[in-house]
Amino acid sequence: MTYTIDFLFLFEYWEVLLEGLMTSLQVTGLCLLLGLALGFLVSLMRVSSNKLIYSVSTVYVEFFRGTPVLIQLFWIFFCLPLILGTEISNFSSAVIALTLYMGAISSETFRASLLSIDKDQSDACVALGLDSLTKIMHVILPQAILRAVPTLLSNTVSLFKESALVSAVGMSDLMYIGQNISSVTAKPVEMLTAVAFIYFIIAFPLTRCVSLLEGKLIHKIAI
Amino acid sequence: MNYEIDFFYVLKGIDQLLEGLLVTVQLTLTSVVIGVIGGFLVCLMAMSQSRLIRLPTMAFIEVFRCTPALIQIVWIFYCVPMLFNVFLDPFVMGVLALSLNLIAFNAEAYRAAIQAIPKAHLDASIALGLTPLQTNLYVVLPQAIRLGMPVLVTNAISIFQQSALVAIVAIEDLMYMGKLLSTETYRPIETFTFVALMYFAIALPVMLLSSRLEKRYKTANS
Repeated sequence: MTYTIDFLFLFEYWEVLLEGLMTSLQVTGLCLLLGLALGFLVSLMRVSSNKLIYSVSTVYVEFFRGTPVLIQLFWIFFCLPLILGTEISNFSSAVIALTLYMGAISSETFRASLLSIDKDQSDACVALGLDSLTKIMHVILPQAILRAVPTLLSNTVSLFKESALVSAVGMSDLMYIGQNISSVTAKPVEMLTAVAFIYFIIAFPLTRCVSLLEGKLIHKIAI
Repeated sequence: MNYEIDFFYVLKGIDQLLEGLLVTVQLTLTSVVIGVIGGFLVCLMAMSQSRLIRLPTMAFIEVFRCTPALIQIVWIFYCVPMLFNVFLDPFVMGVLALSLNLIAFNAEAYRAAIQAIPKAHLDASIALGLTPLQTNLYVVLPQAIRLGMPVLVTNAISIFQQSALVAIVAIEDLMYMGKLLSTETYRPIETFTFVALMYFAIALPVMLLSSRLEKRYKTANS
């Protein structure tokens, strides 16, 4: 092997890497908020009895779950500007694409947890004479949201990982910066390993939280 | 909008896209086969009594689950040849990256499934005098596959979608061919829409199958 490993040079670049990480986190955070709101709305649409609302939301969810995120991103980056006739920055197209992705997977999570609430609870609400708004706001939703938390958290980890794709449309996130430095310095092994490590130290604690929540907390509080 | 939709060029390039689709399907199927078998082995290793086996295996699983698939693919493409001085065919590298990722996710699926197997079955195996190998092969594996099936299918669908990432390291899969065609023809809307529909047409039947499996599994359990 002729390649000598030298991790020390990485310290020269820590500021740029940090900047890239910030971009990744910003995109993730923004899409998380927008995606959760969208996902919640869509999950309500998917339990609707109106056929049109149901079909539109179902097609959206299935389509976004059934195609690669990369092509969704490319479609929005390359095609949306042509259709709208205006320029869209790569930040906006990244946010639109990842929000739609997060919305689709989270709506499934919300739906599953809405459906997991026992039918008896609805019956009990009727027996207690609660109107449907009170029933939804004070009985069904609080439980459904609590049950959805672990899966939503693991969706967030997926979103964070998928955010690496925005490098493919030239956004200078952690992945993009890492790849750039690795080709400039011709030291891909150290650089890419370091980038992977940074992703890991953020995603790993989150997945730990997921298993912790699944294991204990939720059962204690909600079920 | 002065962009006129015209699918003519896409249809002219359909051969190219089908070639790409073939590569995508081959990549996916090979990785799924390796992932289903390797995932079970890795799962057994992660549940091993010996720390020396368990800890590195768990580290492997966590690293592959907690980093973006894109960086795994790029890492393997750039670093494996440099570190080990081996130059593999790009397709083989793609399979390597995707199957390592799938193995990690499937191992978790198997683990959840195995934990759902009643302890009494293992006691029964000991009582019947089965060797550990026999127990794993005839008692644990069949149930793990059956219980884990819905998640294994979901993982297979997501590896099918992640396979599009290999386009970034220039493996000529469907995504790569689509990107190429859209630049050649200046027809991004038609090409990308068509390519997305091709992915969807393959994923949809499998997704429907998986939700049916899940329903059957639920009714069988209740």
